[in-house]
This record gives sequence, C-alpha cells and structure tokens, in this order.
Amino acid sequence: MFTPRRTRRDKDQTPRKKRTCRFCDSKDIYIDYKDEKRLQRFVTEQGKIIPKRITGTCAKHQRQLVKAIKRARHLALLPFVSDTVR
Amino acid sequence: MDKPKRLYETTFIVNASLDDTQIDGVVTRVQDFITRNGGTVTAVNKWGRKRLAYSINKKTNGFYVNLEMEAPGTLLAALDRAYQLDEMILRYLTIILDRKAIASRKATAEAAAAAAAAQALVAEPAPVQAREPEPAPSEAKKA
Repeated sequence: MFTPRRTRRDKDQTPRKKRTCRFCDSKDIYIDYKDEKRLQRFVTEQGKIIPKRITGTCAKHQRQLVKAIKRARHLALLPFVSDTVR
Repeated sequence: MDKPKRLYETTFIVNASLDDTQIDGVVTRVQDFITRNGGTVTAVNKWGRKRLAYSINKKTNGFYVNLEMEAPGTLLAALDRAYQLDEMILRYLTIILDRKAIASRKATAEAAAAAAAAQALVAEPAPVQAREPEPAPSEAKKA
C-alpha cells in the first residue's frame, strides 16, 4: 500500500498554496519556440528546464513546453548551458 | 499528379557577417528552391540580426529568417539537403504546423486586424463626438 512520505511540511502543517498551470488558466496560448521571452521563465539561470512540480505546469503543457524549449535551443534562441556556468 | 500539401514553417540562421544584399540573396535562393520543388511560400518574416545564445561555427551573431510554406512532404528532404549544402546557413529548423499552431496564428491575426479596425474607429468619430456628446458613451461601451 502507498503511504505518503513524511516531510517537514507535514509537521509544520502549513498548507502549500496550490499552483495552477498558467497555460490552462489563460487558455488559447500556443507554446511557441519563437517566443523566447516566455520560454525563459521555464528555464533556470543555468539553462535547465524547470520541472513541472516547481512551476505547477500540467503534464500536457509541460510536454509542449519541453518541445518548444528544445526547438529554441536548436536555433540558439535559448542556451543549452548558460555562459555563466561555462 | 497533384501531391497533397501541408503547412510547414521553416526558420534558418544566415551568417550575419554578410552584407544585407547577400543575405537577401540567400533568402530568395531558399524561396526559389521551395517554389521550384512544388511548394508555395505564404509568409516571409525576417527577424534580423540577433545574438546567438551560444556560438555556432565560432559565430556569435546570426540573421534569422522565418518562412511559412505550403509544400508536399517530398520537398522537406530536398530542403534539408539544400540547407546543408549552403555554407551561409548556420542552422535551420523545419516544423509542421499542427492544428493548434494554425488556430493560434489565425487568432493573433484576427486580434491584430480587430485592433487596427478599433484604432481606425477611434480615429474617425472624434469630430462627431464633439458635435453630439450624448451617443458617444454608448458607442464607447459597444466598442
């Protein structure tokens, strides 16, 4: 049986604010690889893609996001690895 | 025989150290290639010179060009080959436009058209409003 792992949050009893998917909230956004400004928000300073558990993006939109980010990287719109790390 | 055509979008990066006329030459070359191979270019967007996020072939700047086209599937392999043979093209990406992309494109185009129309409306009835102050607020609400 699945027993949820105990975390510090359980002890604190502070309810975490529920994050919602931005792309579900404002519906007809098409996640475009050309829109580097928007994509930048879902990438760390190093250039890594931020997991959906942090950003709150739903699975469907995360898949679209990942595809767009990878396309943008191919066209050198986004870095694979940021200059500061290199 | 007429092959079925689909909507594609292709973006490529031209060596930015070339003159503008040379860059235009590269762009027209690609367009000609597409039309010669049974495609039709529906839109050309030149984004201009941009800094690359990382260096490609030791170059830090590139001239981005984005084309939309209707083309048969057989064109794509040929286009890939053409891109690779062209030394002035640093990088390219060709994608198929899915239903969502087309829908969003239409929506943005319509929004832009509506905004332009609204602006024209605002610009025109200004003298009318000065003469008849009463109907103006209702008009504003509708808009």
